[in-house]
Amino acid sequence: MEKSLNDYLEKIEKNLKPLPVSERVDIVKEIKSEILELQGDGKTLEEILERMGNPKELAKAYLGDLIAKSSSFSWSRMLAICAYYSLAGLSGMIVIPVLVICAPVFIACGIAAPVLGAVKLIDTLLHLGIPYASCIGISGIENPAIVFVLSIVMGVALYLAGRGCWKLLVYYIKGVSQAKRFLSI
Amino acid sequence: MNVDDWKSQIKRGTLEFCILLMIKQRSTYGYEIISTLERYPILSAKENTIYPLLRRLLKEEYISSSWQESAEGLPPRKYYSMTEKGLAYLSAMSEEWDRLIHAIHEIQGE
Repeated sequence: MEKSLNDYLEKIEKNLKPLPVSERVDIVKEIKSEILELQGDGKTLEEILERMGNPKELAKAYLGDLIAKSSSFSWSRMLAICAYYSLAGLSGMIVIPVLVICAPVFIACGIAAPVLGAVKLIDTLLHLGIPYASCIGISGIENPAIVFVLSIVMGVALYLAGRGCWKLLVYYIKGVSQAKRFLSI
Repeated sequence: MNVDDWKSQIKRGTLEFCILLMIKQRSTYGYEIISTLERYPILSAKENTIYPLLRRLLKEEYISSSWQESAEGLPPRKYYSMTEKGLAYLSAMSEEWDRLIHAIHEIQGE
């Protein structure tokens, strides 16, 4: 008894192949739910499966829209898809790596700049003689206090630039996938 | 004389309307929809019509769905309910339907 139910559901699942797994699972679960409900009403499995019809036909009914959609070929859709992939592919090749590198580097520099400024300031004030501290500085400015203030300003600017890159990246990826969904490729 | 062809065309055109009307009344699940429709021979449709239709309505976001546990011993059911978009769609449909009925009455000369 149970075996033929599982066979039936398996056949449906197999014939739903073009659909994504999550949809397939959901469809089979819904059909199974009805079969169990009918069994609860006292119907035999044979009666129920007879009522539900050929599993292949039932699965095909779900694919009906899909087949109709994919069989209708249109030039404008073809062009839209070509344009989409050219644009998304080419821009993605540049935009994504640039932003992926820029975002963390800018943020790291934004944090490093004020830290280094502070190191120089403390080194000068306390005469600690930290090695290479003399290498820190902004060309043309001698006063470590001004260097420190400027490094904070730079740090904030860099940090914001990094955050901006990150947001841009997220925005770009969202936009691309939304366009994809819109074209239903 | 064969009225069946014509009947199946009517069914095709009105099932969506009837299903949405049912879901608007209250959240319901596939089997309940099918059993209710079975009471009206002109509307009765099998699983292989109703489930794909529900799926399309879901995709178009006229309805939403959620799995709910039912009474003991019974499997969980997939309940469908209306969305805002669905309500707007349904009211537009109702309007057109009224127009059609009105037109038919007028043509009949009543």
